[in-house]
Formats: sequence, C-alpha cells, structure tokens
Amino acid sequence: MRYIFIFLVFTFNLLAVDAVLTIEKDVESKTSLSIIEDTNTANSTQKHQKMFSLLLNDIKMSGHFNVDSTARRGSFDEGMIPPELHDREYILKYSYAPSGTKLDVKLLHVLDNNVIFQKGYTVNASARYPFLAHNAIVDINNALGYDDISWMSRHILFSKYISSRKSEVLIADYTLLFSSVIVRGGLNLFPKWANPTQSAFYYTSYNNFLPTLYRVDMASGARKKVISSEGVMVCSDVSADGSKLLLTMAPNGQTDIYEYDVNSGSKEQLTKFRGIDVNGKYLGDESRIAFVSDRMGSANIYTKSIGSYSVSKAAHYGANNSSCDAFGQYILYSVREGGATNIYLGSANSSYVRALTSNGSNQLPRFSKDGKVILYIKQNGRGNTIGYMNLATKQNSSYPMINGQIQSIDW
Amino acid sequence: METKLLITAISLTLIMSGCADKKVSTLDVADNTAVIDGAGVNGEGTNSYGYDNVDPYGKEYSNSHSGNTNLGNYNDNTLYAETAGGVKNIYFASNQYTITHDKLSTISSNANLLKGAVNSGAKLKIEGHCDATGTDEYNYALGLKRARAVKEAITSRGINPANIVMVSMGESSPECSSSFSSDCYAKNRRVEFKVVQ
Repeated sequence: MRYIFIFLVFTFNLLAVDAVLTIEKDVESKTSLSIIEDTNTANSTQKHQKMFSLLLNDIKMSGHFNVDSTARRGSFDEGMIPPELHDREYILKYSYAPSGTKLDVKLLHVLDNNVIFQKGYTVNASARYPFLAHNAIVDINNALGYDDISWMSRHILFSKYISSRKSEVLIADYTLLFSSVIVRGGLNLFPKWANPTQSAFYYTSYNNFLPTLYRVDMASGARKKVISSEGVMVCSDVSADGSKLLLTMAPNGQTDIYEYDVNSGSKEQLTKFRGIDVNGKYLGDESRIAFVSDRMGSANIYTKSIGSYSVSKAAHYGANNSSCDAFGQYILYSVREGGATNIYLGSANSSYVRALTSNGSNQLPRFSKDGKVILYIKQNGRGNTIGYMNLATKQNSSYPMINGQIQSIDW
Repeated sequence: METKLLITAISLTLIMSGCADKKVSTLDVADNTAVIDGAGVNGEGTNSYGYDNVDPYGKEYSNSHSGNTNLGNYNDNTLYAETAGGVKNIYFASNQYTITHDKLSTISSNANLLKGAVNSGAKLKIEGHCDATGTDEYNYALGLKRARAVKEAITSRGINPANIVMVSMGESSPECSSSFSSDCYAKNRRVEFKVVQ
C-alpha cells in the first residue's frame, strides 16, 4: 500500500479565509476525476475562481476521488472529452452562472461518454454560493454510490467573542467562505441546533438578570424563551428527535445537569454533586449520558445511566479533560497535557483510546451527525482555526477565521 | 500484466479519441434544477425555509428583506450594574474555587461596604470570572463555583442572601487581555461585585 502526502495551500481572499488542506490518500484505490469549467460562463471574478477551488476541495474532502488540480475550460453541452483526459474515469463539467447564484453540473463517464449525473443548483443570495458546490459534490458522491458525505452541506453554528461581554452567533458553511451573523447584541453564547434539520436553534442570552435559554426558529426568526437559571445556563445536547435537552444549569446555585422536556417544560435533575457537573451528552439510545465532572479533583469524563446514581469514569487517558462530545458509544474529549491540549477518541464501553491531535491547543471536538467526521477548534494565539478530520478516509482540512475567538460550536 | 494493461489503455485511448466529437444527449436541466437553500441536508433542494428571514444584516439581504428589520438583533435589557465604591475583587488560584485565607480580610471589608445598600433592598450581582484555560462550558461552571464561594462568605458576614444573584461570566470579560502570561491570567480568575439599584 503506497501512501502519498500532498499538502495544498489555498489562498481565499474573500472573507480573508485561508484554507489549508492536508490530504493523505491511497491514490491507486480511488476514482480518478478531472474538472472542466464551461467556457461560455467562465470569467475571472473572485467567486468564479473560488467555485473551482470549492469543488476541488469538496471532492478531495470526500476521500473517494483522485482528482487533479488543473483548472480546465471546455464546452459544457458537448460531450467532447480532451484526449489528455481519456485516462480518467470521470469528468466533472460545471457551469457557474454570472449571477453567482446558479450552478449546473454534469458527470461524464469517460469510457462510454455517458452522462452519469446532471443537475442544476440555485441559492437565493450569491453570498451562499459555497452551498452550490457542497450540494453538488454530495449528490455526485451519492450518484456513484459512495459513503454519504452530506455533512458537507450542513451549516455550522457558532458563537464568538468580539469584545468584553460581547459576542455574536453565526451560521456558516463548513469552509467559512459563507458566514452570517444571526444573533447580535450583548453576550449570546452556547448556540445549539434544535433538531437534525437545523430549522431552529437554542442559545443562551446573558443580557438579562439571569442567563436565559432561547429557541429561535430559522424560518421566521421568532424567538421563544425556554428557561432561565441563576449562575449558568447551557444547552449541551439535544435528543435525536429534538424533544429533550441536556442542560447545564444552577437553579439553586449549584451547577448540575438536567434533562428538559421540550413539550411539557418539565425538568429532571440527572446529576447531584457538590462540585462541577457540566457538558452532558447523550450516549447510544439516550438512556445514558457522558459528562464532565471534577468529582475526582480535576475535570474528567464520566458516564451514567439516566435514573441511576452510579457513575463511571469514561476517559482512559488524561487527568485534565474539560470537554466532551459523544456519538453512539464513542466519546471525543480534549486532554490538557503539558502546554498542549489534544483531542482523543474513546469508548464508553471499553478502554479504547486513540489520539487524534498531537500538538497545539485543540478544543471543542464535535462529531458530525453521521459520526464519520470530527470538527474541532485549534487556537493559534488570538486566532481560531476550524479543523476537520475525516476518520474514514484520513482526510484533514482546516479553515482559519480572520478574527474573533470561538466560544462554542455546533453542526 | 503491466504490458496488457498498457495495451488496453492505449486501445481505449484510441477508441475514445475516435469518439471525441460524439454529442451527449441533452438533459432537461430546468426540470432537474433544485433550489437548495438553508440546510439542504441532503442536497435534495427542498427550500424549506428562507434564510433571508433570519439574516437581515447580511449585505446581500438588507435591501430585499421585507420583514422585521430588527430580527437577529436580540439586544435584551442589558443591566449596567456598577461596581460599588471601595469594593475589591476576590482572586483565585488556577482551576480553584476555594477562598484562600489571605482573601478573608477583603471579604470582610467588602461585606461592610455592601451591607447598607444590599440590606436596604438593592440587588447585589456576584460575577464569577475565569481565565482562558480550559473549555468554555467548564469555565462557566467554574466561575459560578467562585461566585458561590464568595456569596457564602459574605452572607456569613451579615449580607442578606435574598438580595444576591450569582452569574458566571466565564472567560467573556477578562480583566487582563494584553497577553497569555500567567500574571495576566491570574487577574482574570476573579469574582466581581456589582450593585443593581
């Protein structure tokens, strides 16, 4: 098995986002593909240049293709394939409209010149153009029967500090080429998608006398107060069906984890400890949770069944582990070791441990909805970079933010 | 084996070169065009909601947005509580929420300064703060533990607990943000006292 490491640096000027893509791939086992832009719609605008980079980046991040990085132009409608590309398995042709809101793609099978897939995509504002590429590549990947990569099409949701006691909540595509503030004014923290379809989200406002959890509907922008608590209020996790929340709150001045029923408004205290219990995450069938506690003297990861008093330590590495996420029975957690903070993958049911980062400050690990990709935040001085690790295909990429410090993130 | 593959590849290249001008049947793009907007989780193009309703400040949306122009700006009734005169912050060791003996005289002094106003009905907001070490959710809990330790200390010195509210500010409001030094971080691990009239 021969591995080739390719390091590519993309310089994205729009929004001053620089994407650094690190690819580790087994070229021989992947589908070969080249990209051709429609001559009739091609031009030199910044977005047109970025569209090629986006398509190329998404194809690489899928981990399923050996794609060449040469930008080519040709006819979109005619089936002619340049002779130098006849050794490729597929050709992706695309036509990106001058309006910036419409993308047509066509996947050709080189061997028989058949159109395997063809579809057009639009967005209602050109700022959202990265989703044209993400959705097209997700569909092309699916058309060829590869493992689903629809995590690319999801919005990430995050809050970032902009100054003392001030923060904003933003949505963005996974590359940060599109981002937009959706909550501003004061201190608004811990945004969390309310359901798998991302049609609503929760966040905590620290602008009232008590920290207050709100739910915002994405379609109407309507905001509804959910619950307040003295001291601290965090929506740490949402059940798969959106009907229950794991909240960190302190109604009596003591930080514990509660399960909140969205429909009835009732809450049940899940942990009861005189120290710190935070960061509850549902495990498996949601009858158990993983959480962070300092019950052994320093922050670490524990699990417990809902309704049980018994608590088990879940992290089998590290003595200062203050953040976790869960998918099925797998747990992601950050470990402070020496001057670094690294991310480890563990299991709630075994002593399995795998280091995912090896240096720097890496925090807030998050599983994708399918558990295949891991998002995390890398701190570089005052800057933040959002990193992705595709565990199945060994693809990594990272996208620096121009300013602001990410406070919390979900996707 | 390699020779056979090479011959096959050359043969295919020649065949495909001969077919290079073959036209691909045109599909009806219009019928296959999907509007993908918002989450579009599977790229299937159902325009389930319009983001311009919740994103009125986006440059591209500001002119076309016809709804409530204040959507997205949820600036609540932010309380501008003031630090009481003469009251000093209480500082903590890294990752700790225990008040050390050397801070007890400051606690007593603060209690004496605050007693009159708070016991006359003013609200005292005790804010717990943290340095940037650790993750934010844990830091917010740590800040609350610091606030609680201070609340218990000053209520034992005659402050009415019914007029006290605790809030953790986590690492959102550092006293020192000029460096990542341990001296700077030490200034951020603190509890502040704010009187809300």
